[in-house]
Amino acid sequence: MNTMIDTIVAIFVILGVFFAVVSAIGIVRLKDVYSRAHASGKSATLGVVFIMLAVFIHFLSQGVMNAKILLAILFLFLTAPVASLMITRSAYRNGVRLEKNTITDDLKEMYEQDSKQSK
Amino acid sequence: MFDTVLIVALSALSIALLLLFIRVVKGPSTQDRILALDAIGVLLVGFIGIIMILQDTSVFSDIVLVLTILGFVGTLSLSKFLERGVVIEHDD
Amino acid sequence: MPFQILINVFLAVLWMFLQNEYTVVSFISGYVIGVLILFIIRRFLKFDFYLNRVWAIVKLIYLFTVELIKANIDVVKVVLKPKQDHQPGIIAVRTRLESDFEISLLAALITLTPGTVSMDFSADNKTIYVHAIDVPDKEEMIKGIQNSFEKAIMEVTK
Repeated sequence: MNTMIDTIVAIFVILGVFFAVVSAIGIVRLKDVYSRAHASGKSATLGVVFIMLAVFIHFLSQGVMNAKILLAILFLFLTAPVASLMITRSAYRNGVRLEKNTITDDLKEMYEQDSKQSK
Repeated sequence: MFDTVLIVALSALSIALLLLFIRVVKGPSTQDRILALDAIGVLLVGFIGIIMILQDTSVFSDIVLVLTILGFVGTLSLSKFLERGVVIEHDD
Repeated sequence: MPFQILINVFLAVLWMFLQNEYTVVSFISGYVIGVLILFIIRRFLKFDFYLNRVWAIVKLIYLFTVELIKANIDVVKVVLKPKQDHQPGIIAVRTRLESDFEISLLAALITLTPGTVSMDFSADNKTIYVHAIDVPDKEEMIKGIQNSFEKAIMEVTK
């Protein structure tokens, strides 16, 4: 029984660490801020959520219901999208360039209209 | 066996943190640095989680919560600070 | 809907008293039995059965989990590809949702799903600008977002 729970915890930890490492590699390898936001916003969050689930299962098997860990998972899910939205928006408004093989940019038209109206 | 897996996981996470640190130092724009720092904050939460399993203690659970929220607030205020006051501009 | 939950909690407490067992387990079993009773008499209620909405929320969470796993497999594929030749782009997605809560929920869900990160809103809050990591077909992508998430959110908050 105990070894089975340990195996499940180990699998969750390995999955989580795999996604975390992939997100780190992605942040180093991808070419512009907007693509890097994909790696940090999705993979890092899911990786850490997996690790937190492993922690929760580990303590649950000892009969301790640790609700703070569940709260941490909830906060991670709530905060990750907002953080990546704010970073990409401030990057676009500060004029950080898009990667060179970007094909469409609908946002540019919006800002051009905006600046025309304000003039 | 179980402890070995956890220690290997901790070393892999350390390597990931090191990679992110490279991006913090290199990052062409400030937003790159903020993004990498945010990811470091999130990964530190996972790091502490694995240490909790390894040491079989739940005293760090408060720290996990506070670290999550502080990382979020830090990221938000930094990017807001960079954004505010800047007129919408496109100088290609 | 609050009235029905009140009835349900009342039934659960009643069940707890009848069992003479004041624990969380008996409260939960009482609550489940209350849900069953409400389900049986749902035709005599004035309002819609509130579990319909709960069921819609469960469906939304299920959809979200599946998409989140798919999104991460997607990111892994893009990151570990030896040659970085994906074609990113920013696309505008118009939405029919109205309240601020629904739109922010949609933006958060878009961020955590395959290949897309929401970036900005238009001035009238009707268009979400989305950065996609690989845009093979623009129209299909917009349709995909509108059909899956917008519909599920509408079912929850209609």
